[in-house]
Amino acid sequence: MQNRHHHLTTVLATTLLLTALVAGATSCGGDDDGQTLTIYSGRSEKLVGPIFAEFEAVTGVTLDVRYGSSNDLALAISTEGDKTPADVFLSRSPGPAGYLDDQGMLAPIDTKTLERVDPGDRSPDGTWVGFAGRARVLVYNIDEVAEADLPGSVFDLTGPGYQNLVAVPGSNSSFQDWFTVFRLRNGDDMAVRWLDDMVANGARFYPKNRAIVEAVGRNEIRFGLVNHYYNHQEVAANGDAQRSANHGFNQGDDGGLMIIATAAILDQSDDRELANRLLTHLLSDSQQRYLTDTVYEYPLAIGVDAAETLPPAPADTVGAVQIADVAAEFTRTIEIIEASGILDQ
Amino acid sequence: MNEEVARHRAGAGRPPRSLISANLLIAVLFAIPGGYVVWRTATTGEGQLATIASRSTLEPLWRTIQLGFLVSVAAALTGTGLAWLTTRTDLPMRRFWRIAVPLPLVYPSFVGASALQSGLTPGGIVHDLVSVTGVGLDLRLHGLFGAWLVLTLFTYPYVYLPVAARLSTLPTSLEENARLLGDRPVQVFRKIVLPQASSSIAAGSLLVFLYTVSDFGAVHLMRFETLTQTIFRTRLFDQNRSFTLALVLLVLALVVVAAERTVARRGSRTHVVGSRPALPIPLGPWSVPALVTCSLVVGLALFSPALSLADWGLSGWTRQLRGGAGLRLDLNDLVGPTWNTVWISVVAATLAIVAVMPVAYLLTRHNSRVGGLINGVVVAGFAIPGLVVALSLIFWTLHASPFDFLIGTLPVLVFAYVVHFGAQAVRTAQVAVSTVPPRMEDAARLLGAGRLRRLRTVELPLMAPGLAAGGGLVMLSTMKELPATLLVSPIGFRTLAVEIWNTYEAAYLPEMALLALVLVAISALMTWMLIVRRVTYLA
Repeated sequence: MQNRHHHLTTVLATTLLLTALVAGATSCGGDDDGQTLTIYSGRSEKLVGPIFAEFEAVTGVTLDVRYGSSNDLALAISTEGDKTPADVFLSRSPGPAGYLDDQGMLAPIDTKTLERVDPGDRSPDGTWVGFAGRARVLVYNIDEVAEADLPGSVFDLTGPGYQNLVAVPGSNSSFQDWFTVFRLRNGDDMAVRWLDDMVANGARFYPKNRAIVEAVGRNEIRFGLVNHYYNHQEVAANGDAQRSANHGFNQGDDGGLMIIATAAILDQSDDRELANRLLTHLLSDSQQRYLTDTVYEYPLAIGVDAAETLPPAPADTVGAVQIADVAAEFTRTIEIIEASGILDQ
Repeated sequence: MNEEVARHRAGAGRPPRSLISANLLIAVLFAIPGGYVVWRTATTGEGQLATIASRSTLEPLWRTIQLGFLVSVAAALTGTGLAWLTTRTDLPMRRFWRIAVPLPLVYPSFVGASALQSGLTPGGIVHDLVSVTGVGLDLRLHGLFGAWLVLTLFTYPYVYLPVAARLSTLPTSLEENARLLGDRPVQVFRKIVLPQASSSIAAGSLLVFLYTVSDFGAVHLMRFETLTQTIFRTRLFDQNRSFTLALVLLVLALVVVAAERTVARRGSRTHVVGSRPALPIPLGPWSVPALVTCSLVVGLALFSPALSLADWGLSGWTRQLRGGAGLRLDLNDLVGPTWNTVWISVVAATLAIVAVMPVAYLLTRHNSRVGGLINGVVVAGFAIPGLVVALSLIFWTLHASPFDFLIGTLPVLVFAYVVHFGAQAVRTAQVAVSTVPPRMEDAARLLGAGRLRRLRTVELPLMAPGLAAGGGLVMLSTMKELPATLLVSPIGFRTLAVEIWNTYEAAYLPEMALLALVLVAISALMTWMLIVRRVTYLA
């Protein structure tokens, strides 16, 4: 009995090891002679996968995509150094691409590709280009709030009309992106005062954007500062049963901000031309339409309008605001947020 | 021959050269991540000493120590208590508890913590179910308490598994004698069980400590700034600080590992001699509180996150029925990743056991200083965040070895798992080796059995429960591993953890929940087949 058990284990282990070796060998085998491009993508497969599939179908090129968090992938690329297999790097926000640019690891992108977007949506030295935007907006409950009563400015939210009514995702990285720009624009004193006033006004802390949109939908709270696309996802999922909508602050108000996802080409890429073609594809009318119609992001290519359901795009983008010492600024932002007490609300 | 046996028994025998060289090789391989941290700290920028002494390091360091200590103590109590209840008493439904109790280990920290947290807050399923009974539960988990609770619930299996394995190999005669002599169960536990299990408890608590100090997911969600939090926050834009703090973390881990070694050496041990099933201690009126305790722990750690996940998954399904968006998940997202998860975790666990056996032998049979040092290298590596392990392997494979052709292949990924999680097998392996009476091996040796034959026929069967428990820990950890899997796996290689992360990133909550439930179910099945059955079979 005992022996049979051992035999079974041995057989099982051997089988598994063999599977591993065979799997390893086939993955080493590489692809056939067709062209391939390696992409490190900090945007989720569920969002950008269809764009890649379309490119493969049209061009016959094979795309090998490694998905991960933008920061981790940037670290991996810089560790791989001149041996990185990556040709193209997609990032959630300009920071990680800017980091690789500082390391001198990015190649200049073709002018024609760059000029698909406004100068504010690409790096000054032409090493990365924005391809989709996410906006900071105010989500509100449509049964409780009339459209005419919506605030024009984020500064209105500290007033008596909003007491105990606003949800703030203080620990969320998009909120922190926004608060950093808000702070640099208005100065620390004013930013700290705004946050303190929000706390004094009974703003409620929620850890996540989605939790806020859900809470607003069931009228647990009336307003919330969030990324715009969560509400669109909820509406797409629940239809009319979703009782929340997005509101953009007035054009130029500090409450709005566009955080842009960026694409870059690695200096080490042995096929920059093909990499450029992929970026052009990403910024083509059809793929930009997909990004806005299907996954509710703001298109950045000139001439492509955002889906009608999206609130007007904020004028400012994170990429356009130059931040000298990113680490120090974000550390300062987190210190201020923690000191404000909003996280305990 | 007799002289050799005598020296061997005294533990003073010089270790054979082959054992020493195997150990040195293992030490070098396991030192790769730590070595990378040291090298990067020394070469990235300057002002490292000022960084170490600054308030922004010392405060997170103090919080890290606090959290690590509190979680270790709580997990030690929970794990030991549950192990005793499930192996030594007539607790009702023991078979069920033996499978369910170790499972919370399998929740990836970010999934488990957020499911637990949102289940307990208003609007969450657990909160709403409890409020039906009239209890107003308003538990907003955060800070030290939240991090402590969540990490305790997800890490006590590190103590439970080795302790249960140890208890199941203990000769029951001691306990039975004590009981015959009139000791009550509590006294038996304190006088007999505790001293025998102490080295397993210490080993498990050490793993809990190392897991806690290197965890990112739970402390991030609970907004408790530990060293690892700071390491992650500064990883891209302030690498000087990030690597310096990783070094501080590594030194902390080495200190704790050394402390545990000292404690473990003092523990007494009894060798196994052909054990027979224990006579369960009747709990009598204590069955009810015992059952309540088990239910509470397993309910909070396993079922309440599972309930939240089921709730999220169900919301996706009802959404589909109402004509909303369908579930964006097909069979292909499930089958391949599930199979990959299963085989790679078993391979990693098997190789981890093989890799740590020489270390265990050197340490327990020869009691050498080198052994202690190598043990430190292997175990402390567990405190290095998975991301750093992945980066160190990328660097080593591409820039410092002749193996650059291996980058992006499965051997590197498996190697990453073994190096990262081997620590979880090494202490249980030591305990397992130490339970084999040298006298028995001597007898086999005198009868002329060769080294391999002795290992196969005498030692392995006796060590199997301990080894299976350690391997089980490696297996469960591998199943949920994320940073290394994302960065060093062959492109396109998907595990369930990768799929869970994919859907989580896209904010596809119902899909993520269903995948997480599959992961929990698969690991339950594997825990039962590969660990629980073996451990009880040999009990």
